[in-house]
Amino acid sequence: MLADRPTFEDLYRDYMGRIYAYVRAQVSTSADAEDITAQVFMNAYRAYDRFETRNITPAAWLFRIARNATTDHFRAHGRRERLRRTIEHQPVAGEDPAGMAEERIQYRALLEFVALLPERQREALSLRHSGLSFEEVGVLMTCSEDAAKMLYHRALKALRESVRQGEA
Amino acid sequence: MSEDEEDIELRALQRQLDDAFETTRPRRGFEDQLWLRLQARRPFWRRVQDGLAAVVDRAREVPAVPAAAVAAVLIVVIGVGVVSLSGLKLGGAGSVATTSGVQPAAGNFAQALAPGSFGALPSPVLSSTSSSPLDFGPSKVATAPAADQSVRANPVYLGPTTLTWTGKLEVNATQAPVFRYQEPTGAFANQFAASLGAVPAASAGSGYLGTYSGQDFTMSVRSSSGAPPGEPTFALVPTGADRQASQNTPSNAALALLSAHNLAPSWVYTVSVGTAGDQVRVNFLRTFAIPGQGPAHLVDGVGDRYGLAVDLKGGQPVRAAGPLPLSLDSAAYPIITANQAVHAALASSPAGPATIDPSPAVNLTSAELVYAVVHSGDTLLPGTPGFYEPCFLFSGTFTYNGTTYLKRVLVPAVDPSQLNS
Repeated sequence: MLADRPTFEDLYRDYMGRIYAYVRAQVSTSADAEDITAQVFMNAYRAYDRFETRNITPAAWLFRIARNATTDHFRAHGRRERLRRTIEHQPVAGEDPAGMAEERIQYRALLEFVALLPERQREALSLRHSGLSFEEVGVLMTCSEDAAKMLYHRALKALRESVRQGEA
Repeated sequence: MSEDEEDIELRALQRQLDDAFETTRPRRGFEDQLWLRLQARRPFWRRVQDGLAAVVDRAREVPAVPAAAVAAVLIVVIGVGVVSLSGLKLGGAGSVATTSGVQPAAGNFAQALAPGSFGALPSPVLSSTSSSPLDFGPSKVATAPAADQSVRANPVYLGPTTLTWTGKLEVNATQAPVFRYQEPTGAFANQFAASLGAVPAASAGSGYLGTYSGQDFTMSVRSSSGAPPGEPTFALVPTGADRQASQNTPSNAALALLSAHNLAPSWVYTVSVGTAGDQVRVNFLRTFAIPGQGPAHLVDGVGDRYGLAVDLKGGQPVRAAGPLPLSLDSAAYPIITANQAVHAALASSPAGPATIDPSPAVNLTSAELVYAVVHSGDTLLPGTPGFYEPCFLFSGTFTYNGTTYLKRVLVPAVDPSQLNS
């Protein structure tokens, strides 16, 4: 095993919940979030032997896989439909009531507003609040640390406006 | 708005976002489920490698054991491990048993399916004490005539009989998972109750970890029962708005109650509905997946399937009782063949006293793989392990004095070499 690389078990234990939360902020159903999260860790498991911490932190590496998996999901399922459902705040057909009850989300409304942000803002904000540093956010979004900070702050202000309008 | 006010507002929003991302987690059991799926994809050589590493770690933790003894154990375990692992076919997503838990994320984590890693196991047995682990007081609903195998109309006879076998038993699996839980503490029960919005209501009686009161319900949490063996359970009685809930079917009404209290099963189940007068019991019968074999139902001390039960009266839920959501570890154990199971069943000792004389002759006609709860000792102190172990349940009927009895025989499926003598 490479030096200072966590075991995959540790990685899973530390990040499974955070990856799920990140994905859940992007998609509209817990079932989709579970599928994508599962895919993320399947992909990560397959690629873990090749992962080296010299170039990227384990967190950034995992979130990059999560970001790619989420993009693949939208590509396959259509982002427009997801947005329409979110905007209309409709209950999603096929969302299992038991699953909804079991899923632990205390700020569902806030995450729905997050989902409405422009894509890059939403990602910057989600990655940052998933525990990544601005440097890591920048690496993932292929921009500088400062650019990531600006993107994040724009996202935060946009979110505040959305929440205000939603409350009005 | 001033700059300061705006700054305060944005900081508050950041805190909310931190909380939102921190508290958004998948349903209970998903973490363990996914981990098992990942484990199932591990290549053979890596499972052997990790199994050896675990043995070495354990040997290191016990320095008092002579090195020669460690070496001998290692050789034996390596042998068993290689034989066991070579037949381990865990399959994909569909073959993974779900587990559940309400512990914090870091503790809610299934162990790898390391072969035999729980050591020698206690043997499951049927019990002449016939109460179900889910019987909380007098509100038990009688079972209905059989519309499902899980409900029976005949009394079970566990006394001595002369047995024959004419059924057919197919066993494809060579291994089966054993699941282990730890007897919970009162603090765990409090935590579980708090997660449902309930607070301690009164001092808990003997055998109970706590009694609680929520906005529209009361609840008790009970530790494992010794005879018959049962896992820790909860019983919830709705007292307010829940009782007015109206659903088109008993199953929907039951599920609505469970979902409203975040108690819907996170494990795989089948549903059976039994009625007695105006009372209905909806049973969410728990199953465990055996790779290569399919789902196996959990059975109680007399061999009846059980899981999470919701009683309804007049269409309204009056009680729900089921296993406390606990984290489960799992380990693969070698199991006996169908022939060995049949021989063991025919040679088995009676599980109950003789109440019919002379001993009746019974032809066992069916058998299935099931799971039963077993405890490692007589004491059920917090932290002591309990197990869900695979067994073969044989059944047949006989008639005595005009009454048809059901004869059941439970045979441990785990290879005898892995069981406590």
